Amino acid sequence: MADQISLSRAAPAASREARRRRARGFAPAAPVLAFLLLCFALPVLALLLRSILEPHPGLQNYAALLATGTYANVLENTFLISFIVTAITAVVGLPLAWFITVAPRRLGRLVFGIVILSMWTNLLARTYAWMVLLQDTGPINNFLIWTGLIKNPLPLYGSLAGVVIGMVYIMLPFMVISLRGPLAALDPAMFQAASLCGAARLQSFTRIFLPLLLPGLGAGGLIIFVMSLGYYITPSLLGGAQDMMLAELIAQQVQTLLNWGLAGAASFVLLVVTLALYAVQARYLAPHGRKGH
Amino acid sequence: MLMEFSLLGWWRVVLSAVAGLAALFLLAPLGLLIALSFDSSQWLQFPPPGWTLQWYAQVFADPNWLASLLTSLELGAVVTLASVLLGLLAGFAIARGSFPGRETLRGFFLTPMIMPSIVLGIALYAVFLRLHLAGTFLGFVLAHLVLALPFSIVAITGALEATDKSLEDAAMLCGAGLWEARVRVILPAIRHGIFSAAIFSFLTSWDEVVVAIFMASPGLQTLPVRMLGEVRQNLSPDIAVVSSLLVLGTLLLMGLAAIFNKDAKR
Repeated sequence: MADQISLSRAAPAASREARRRRARGFAPAAPVLAFLLLCFALPVLALLLRSILEPHPGLQNYAALLATGTYANVLENTFLISFIVTAITAVVGLPLAWFITVAPRRLGRLVFGIVILSMWTNLLARTYAWMVLLQDTGPINNFLIWTGLIKNPLPLYGSLAGVVIGMVYIMLPFMVISLRGPLAALDPAMFQAASLCGAARLQSFTRIFLPLLLPGLGAGGLIIFVMSLGYYITPSLLGGAQDMMLAELIAQQVQTLLNWGLAGAASFVLLVVTLALYAVQARYLAPHGRKGH
Repeated sequence: MLMEFSLLGWWRVVLSAVAGLAALFLLAPLGLLIALSFDSSQWLQFPPPGWTLQWYAQVFADPNWLASLLTSLELGAVVTLASVLLGLLAGFAIARGSFPGRETLRGFFLTPMIMPSIVLGIALYAVFLRLHLAGTFLGFVLAHLVLALPFSIVAITGALEATDKSLEDAAMLCGAGLWEARVRVILPAIRHGIFSAAIFSFLTSWDEVVVAIFMASPGLQTLPVRMLGEVRQNLSPDIAVVSSLLVLGTLLLMGLAAIFNKDAKR
């Protein structure tokens, strides 16, 4: 009896207390917020500020970035390479993910295992393998010469083609993973219905299959495009000087030229494009953004 | 029709061919790494003129490789621990708190995920140079923690949001304090979320190289930083050995994950 009384008294007090605490509930986040402000937001802001303050206040760094031929080339290269890489991963990733979804269970799982194995393998290990593969005397050129298709080795290493191959290799698993959910959600009965109504495979493909996968392709493609824009290691190891991308330019400005102003300006450009593209995705491609369509 | 393998007709041939070539494209470089690690030619001839274990012996005898491996492991462990602890704090605030600006805070906590690493790398480098943190273990931990934390917050917040709030209330009705309830009742309930937070945090630090370049010093290098240095200088067979071991490690992890998944389903 005494227990019951104390419990009934304690209960409203405890829940009121809990409600009061939950109404705030912010306190635990304070140290995390402090950490990310100090080690993330402020350093990035400081870097961006340097772009308009160094060597003296003004927009000269942005003018240099856009007007200097070499820098403008870097910007153009960055977008071009990212676009090519995204397009190829979409064209190869779609059949690959499709196969993984519809193939006999064991075969599908094996191929998906290969995708995951390559994705989880250390980035430098993978890039190193491509450095060897793409050499003038590497396995690819040796094979092509042996077959008689070419007489002289193709300039793969240190070229745009090399950068694209290496980056497609790294991005392809992301496309497969982005497409797996949308593919699994396709109902086989829908295609049976289409076929009963007289649709040929090609018609089903272009009128049902592709439109339904478009959001998945768009989301995967966007992530890959944005990741490619900021890519540093693979292009710097596989490309030549003329294939420089934005991230390499930023690193070079800081490491060898100590030109923090220009590095800040290039970072700002990269950041703005990245955030803008993610905003597009949040608005148009995320599932909740498509309500009412 | 399009989603049933047996009904694909001749499309099946095309689909299988493209998928087969893509799988070969993904697998071949990994196979090449392993072949090169046993290649007796120092110049990475392929196919190899002969087989040898000498590069393995060379790597295992080199104290620098071991040192960078230990640095990577140590860094990964500290980052994982800090990331899970901060992830829990942030998770409780976001999943259980109801304060103005909560969703903004959630968004802010996740922004390091979409930040290009090169930007974060040089931004931290500039600050750490002034604070004499560049090239120190603490600097490394702070930098990798920024990158790992969003993954931990996503995993833990997700787990918390999937857990019934009334569990906490029930524990408190039974006389537990708020944090006692959270530690003794909620933590066990979200252990899967904590586990994935830890795995993602560790892998983020383990595989990270761009920010690490700017945090490293000649005396303090993670494994990826050392690999990058070697790759830039010469394509020595050492890298093939280290890379092969990393591929093997990935395979082992995948095997463990498969076993773990099977057990979880039972």
